[in-house]
Amino acid sequence: MKNTTTQSIVFCLVVSCQAIDLNELMERAAQRSDKLHALSTSLTKDLDSHFPPMGRVMMPRPDMCHTSSLQTPRDKEQALSVSENDLISLARSLLRAWNDPLVLLSSEAPTLPHPSNNDISNKIRELQDYSNSLGEGLDVLVNKMGPSSKYISLMPFSGGDLRQDKNSRLINFHFLMSCFRRDSHKIDNFLKVLRCRATKNRPETC
Amino acid sequence: MWRDTGLKLILSLILPVVAQGARHTPPGKPKLTICRSPEKETFTCWWEAGFDGGLPTTYSLFYQKENSKTIYECPDYRTAGANSCFFNKNDTSIWVNYNITVVATNALGSNTSVPFDVDVAYIVQPHTPENVTVRVLEDKEGPFLRLSWEPPRKADTRSGWITLIYEIRVKLEEDEEWEEHLAGQQKMFNIFSLHSGGVYMVQVRCKPDHGFWSEWSPTSSVKVPDYISQGRSVWILMAVFSAFIFFILSWIIIMNKNSVRHCLLPPVPGPKIKGFDKHLLKNEKSEDVFNALVNNSFPPRSIDYEDLLVEYLEVSINEEEELILEGKDIQVVGCLKSKSPSDSDSGRGSCDSHTLLMEKCGGMDSKEESSYEEPEVQQAQAANWESPERTDRQVGSPDTSDGQVNACSSDISSSIHGPSVNQRQGTLELPRQDTVPDKLSPKSRSHHHPGYMESLGECCELPIAGAQHQLEAARLQNHSDYNIASLKQQSETTGLGYVEVQKVNKENQLVLKPLSIHSQGPLHGSCVGAGEEYSKVNGVNKDNVLLLQRQREMAETSQSCDDKEKEGVLEQSCPKQQQGKTDTHGFAATQLQESMCLTTSGYVDTSTMMPTF
Repeated sequence: MKNTTTQSIVFCLVVSCQAIDLNELMERAAQRSDKLHALSTSLTKDLDSHFPPMGRVMMPRPDMCHTSSLQTPRDKEQALSVSENDLISLARSLLRAWNDPLVLLSSEAPTLPHPSNNDISNKIRELQDYSNSLGEGLDVLVNKMGPSSKYISLMPFSGGDLRQDKNSRLINFHFLMSCFRRDSHKIDNFLKVLRCRATKNRPETC
Repeated sequence: MWRDTGLKLILSLILPVVAQGARHTPPGKPKLTICRSPEKETFTCWWEAGFDGGLPTTYSLFYQKENSKTIYECPDYRTAGANSCFFNKNDTSIWVNYNITVVATNALGSNTSVPFDVDVAYIVQPHTPENVTVRVLEDKEGPFLRLSWEPPRKADTRSGWITLIYEIRVKLEEDEEWEEHLAGQQKMFNIFSLHSGGVYMVQVRCKPDHGFWSEWSPTSSVKVPDYISQGRSVWILMAVFSAFIFFILSWIIIMNKNSVRHCLLPPVPGPKIKGFDKHLLKNEKSEDVFNALVNNSFPPRSIDYEDLLVEYLEVSINEEEELILEGKDIQVVGCLKSKSPSDSDSGRGSCDSHTLLMEKCGGMDSKEESSYEEPEVQQAQAANWESPERTDRQVGSPDTSDGQVNACSSDISSSIHGPSVNQRQGTLELPRQDTVPDKLSPKSRSHHHPGYMESLGECCELPIAGAQHQLEAARLQNHSDYNIASLKQQSETTGLGYVEVQKVNKENQLVLKPLSIHSQGPLHGSCVGAGEEYSKVNGVNKDNVLLLQRQREMAETSQSCDDKEKEGVLEQSCPKQQQGKTDTHGFAATQLQESMCLTTSGYVDTSTMMPTF
């Protein structure tokens, strides 16, 4: 550990890198999570425009999302009572849980029986980029926080692949996107709460 | 028929009353229209009622949360108004899917609406921002507006639970279009470049990061005080300065109006012909114009010979030399050994060259010599440049002394006719030269020489008229100083003492008058027209005699100058020969080629000279 720490310090000094302070890191994280959710909302609207009539009935319930097992605050009081470490842990857990499904969605999107599947495909790719960037940023962030912030709940994705028939594929795709939309909203909210809590010297933004 | 209508009328009145009871139906299906949460802590749902079926209908809302199967009814139907359901904090969960339905119930039945899925996270629409204030502040560039506001009361932005972004819009009171600006998360905004004295109206609204825009706040207005912007004041200053410069320049130009006009529009030079009157042109009578010209200035009577840059032959002979010549047999006509060796050549043509004279002093007729001598002898007498006498003699003596002929002598001979001396006036007294014609005759013969005329031209580079002039002077100077002196007395301004032919008197004597620059107008009682000092050649008669023209009218009558001039202008045309006139006037004429052509001016045109040999 000492060696690695020393090495990292030396490395930083050599390349004259500059450590970004916590506030700035939080700000960047919050901006990325905001963008992430915005994309997911846009995707959901695109999918809604061409949804089979019976799809809503056949749509799995939201509690069928693979991340529903994670206990998250349900209202404001609960959310504000969560510690910072937990908040960051929740955010990172959720983010990590969507790495694999996004890969699946990205591979399925081009062949999706949808008129604007190219658009969807591009947005999915963009989603992945933001997700990865946010994950890396949060990893840097937790290094500045306590060690307990690094706890991550694993939520394996067992979706495998979407069904073969056209409607099922579309419905499942839509279902996955709806799960992601919610989870990205959570991440965004947690990080913004975290941002305001961590930057007590900037009351004008919080 | 009347019966039927009356029955129908009664039925139409009764039936509705009766049927009212029969029209009751279960209520129509209500419909949930919208659910909104202002702060992500509570939310409200509204529905619209369907047909109520004619009976009092009640509406109830039921909801089911995502993970439980418990169906709850709306806790609050009133807070949010009619057909609404308000979910308070306790009943509100986020990131939880609500399944809501509305049931309409009346006495006959009920009807359930289509289920409506709601997640509080996606239905956030805050209230309008509060406490919107606008003030006018000043800085160095002028006044500006400062907007400030606060988030809606219930939105908890401090904890970061809800993040709001704001938008403002502003316009002048009289404008129709608003000007919108995004303000981000800040709670104040500055507006610059205001209209002086205008009234501005502003509004603010907000939106959560992932929600809906709020309503616009109530309008706040403010009046901007009058001011002059810095930019405008600079323009005003520049305008004043430019106007000032402009006035100064225009004043200068007006003061120097004439010189400016002269510079920009240079005056057109007028005609510089003496005696030319522009106004006569307006009369459209060219005759008047030309007459005016001729009358006044053309030909010019008094010429400053120096101005003409004409080299005149100046021949001067001393008395001693003349005496010497008497005793010699030098036959050169007009051989004038005039000069003392000390004479310089200035002002004298080549004709005066000493060597030339010496050369040609050989082979002269005795006549010439004798005639040459005579002027000396007869100094006191009036000289007669008597062309008629000469003519007589010359006519009879066509012999050519072909020998060497002095070109200058020919000039002299031809010009002899020019000057006249008025015996009575004593303007010039020249010795009588009876033999002069004899002398002249060989000269006239010399005209036959082919190159004679050319040499004439070469020698002195003068037209005959000019030569005449020169030789006149030479002749005059030939004589004694007395004569010259007398001449000089007479001449007023002409330094060279030229004379001009005034007239020919009865005795065929040329009346000379010394020329003066200032003399103009008719001379001595006789009107002299154009070409007075020259003798115009009228023509050549059969005997190759040069017929000189004079102003005919002058000799015969005393007509006006104009007439004479006219006739002078209308004179000869080539190749008229006016022998008659010549005979009348008795002018001597030198022998000339028959084919000689005379120009209208009476001068000999050598271009048509045909050599006789």
